Amino acid sequence: MASRLIYAILIVAVLMAGLLLAIGLAEPVADAGGMAHPDFPGMQLGGDGAARLEHIGALGFLFQCLLLIQIVLLSMLGVSERYYSGEFYAYMGGSLLFMLIVAWQMYSGHQAYLDSGETGYFLGFPTATAWQMYGTWLGAIPLILVYSLGFSRFIYSDEDEARFKQLLQDKAAAESTAESTPDELEQ
Amino acid sequence: MEAYRQEIIVGAIVVYMLFCIATGLWAMRRTHNSSDFFIAGRHLGPIVVALALFSSTLSGFGFVGGPGLVYSIGVSSFWMVVISSTGYALGFFLVAKRIRMIAELRDCISLPDVVEARYDSKLVRLLMAITIVLGVMGYLATQILAMAVVMQAILSGTETFADIGLVTCVVLSSAVLIFYCVTGGIIASVYTDVVQGAIMMIAGTLILVTAMSVFDGGMQEATSVILENDAEAIMPYGAAGIMASLGWFFVFGLGLAGQPHLITKMMMNRDMRDNRSILPMSLFGYVMAALLWISIGIVMRAAVIDGVVPPLDQPDDAASVFLSVFANPLLAGVVFAGLFAAIMSTSDAFLNIGTAAIIHDIPRAVRGQSVRNELFWARVVTVLLAIVAASFALYSHFRDATLVAILGAFGWGTFAASIFPVVAIGLNWRGATVAGAVTAIVAALLINFVSQLAGIVFPYGISGQLVAFAASMVLFIGVSLVTSPPKLPRDIDALMDI
Repeated sequence: MASRLIYAILIVAVLMAGLLLAIGLAEPVADAGGMAHPDFPGMQLGGDGAARLEHIGALGFLFQCLLLIQIVLLSMLGVSERYYSGEFYAYMGGSLLFMLIVAWQMYSGHQAYLDSGETGYFLGFPTATAWQMYGTWLGAIPLILVYSLGFSRFIYSDEDEARFKQLLQDKAAAESTAESTPDELEQ
Repeated sequence: MEAYRQEIIVGAIVVYMLFCIATGLWAMRRTHNSSDFFIAGRHLGPIVVALALFSSTLSGFGFVGGPGLVYSIGVSSFWMVVISSTGYALGFFLVAKRIRMIAELRDCISLPDVVEARYDSKLVRLLMAITIVLGVMGYLATQILAMAVVMQAILSGTETFADIGLVTCVVLSSAVLIFYCVTGGIIASVYTDVVQGAIMMIAGTLILVTAMSVFDGGMQEATSVILENDAEAIMPYGAAGIMASLGWFFVFGLGLAGQPHLITKMMMNRDMRDNRSILPMSLFGYVMAALLWISIGIVMRAAVIDGVVPPLDQPDDAASVFLSVFANPLLAGVVFAGLFAAIMSTSDAFLNIGTAAIIHDIPRAVRGQSVRNELFWARVVTVLLAIVAASFALYSHFRDATLVAILGAFGWGTFAASIFPVVAIGLNWRGATVAGAVTAIVAALLINFVSQLAGIVFPYGISGQLVAFAASMVLFIGVSLVTSPPKLPRDIDALMDI
């Protein structure tokens, strides 16, 4: 599975590189990366949000989704394939789904604001930004739970510990043999 | 109390620096060999590692540059912060277990040691060591300069030190840093990190409370003020736009697992199973400290727009103006001590890995063995490295501002692009080859350097670091797949099954 997983990671990486190229070649929009504030030096304005996203908004969101998929695929790469099970796939799939929902809520919330010019607030921030800030921060919590609570099952089991200790013992034995051999030869 | 504001701030910083010196003296008695000096003999407990990990992540940039970025470009810079949870998770999934196992199995004391063990290649070790030295020079120079500038600003506000020069401040601040790094090595570094981390968490929490009281309507009123002035600045992609934001999401999210000063700390814990608690503790500490970054930036942007405070001369003044206008003197003292803590906790980590690269890794890559009496030379090179970095910082400040900027290009993004594929993917995939690793490192360095030197501007705010990172990942996997699969050493092969 790990050998196939690397192909999936490569495909996602290539798609992301392709998206970057497509965005780079998209019709340019003036001041898409911000412009100087007329009144306050050092402050930047975003300006017309709809215009900035007109040609690349969907591509940008797709890039974000691929990045989230890549994060989950890479996390799976860090787990020994002996622990790939239906339960493990469910946890990782659930983590990805949660992150994608947060990303969609943020993106669609921003689009809704651009359409209507109105926004609600949640814990001090406009709703879309609250999804970005609190949601993204919390979005990785399922992954962290899989790591911390599932540590003995997916990351480092008793069997893993025994195998690692065996490796250390083999190494110590080999070093001991290497050290003692010259003396034995002399005797 | 207000009349003694400067004295209180100076007092807090002096107490903090005395603590650093005392820790250096204490740690010197526990440093017996180069393993103790570089990786604390793999004896550290989970709380120490967790605090050292997060405090090294949040450098002086988080306390000065971070709020300045929010002031300047709004929510765009949030992406560097909010991705931390994903970044830490990925770092632990990919690196924490394997780097700790290889370190113990092969007695590794540095990241290039681990890389040579994995790839069985001195060339990859050499490239990794060179990347680290270049990155360390840039990071250290900027950190030392930031520390000196802040110290000068604080001391010049007192009668006694009103005319103090920048050179004196560089000497003073570097002397404390050098002292505890030379005497106590990484042991002093991580134990000062513990206190530094605690100070940063307290500072972040108190600043959030203070920031929420600046406007009667709390944070919502501040964000409403920004929204009325320029909605995009407070919307999810901020003033810098979607691709600049997602670029940071990529580089800071995936890139955390490629930062040598952070992942080296994953080699230091006593027990592998501690990783299960180190991950959430590190993240919790980071989030608490990062509250300062977001809350100061938002409140200062709103306060300037609303006319509560005059416009700032430059965005990086956001934190210092906030502290002088809105913060109680005691809180200002804690936060300034926290600022020095943030700078020093990152600087000591870089001094440590830079020294290891120079006296341990480059000699091993070139002539097959490290220098004799490593502990002695580690201390000598630590001093020299800090002096050279401080000289770079001063030269840059007074003569040629591009020097540190160029070295600074070897910052987070370059480490991420050149180290993440080779280490984070390479430690988990048997098919990774020497050719893939060399290609990824060289491509990452070239793209970052060329885009920086040539001043290449990509459309829609796409950064050179993002392009370099995306290219190095594709090249690393692609080149590895088309070159002959390596025959791994037996112990490494067995270890990759675990």
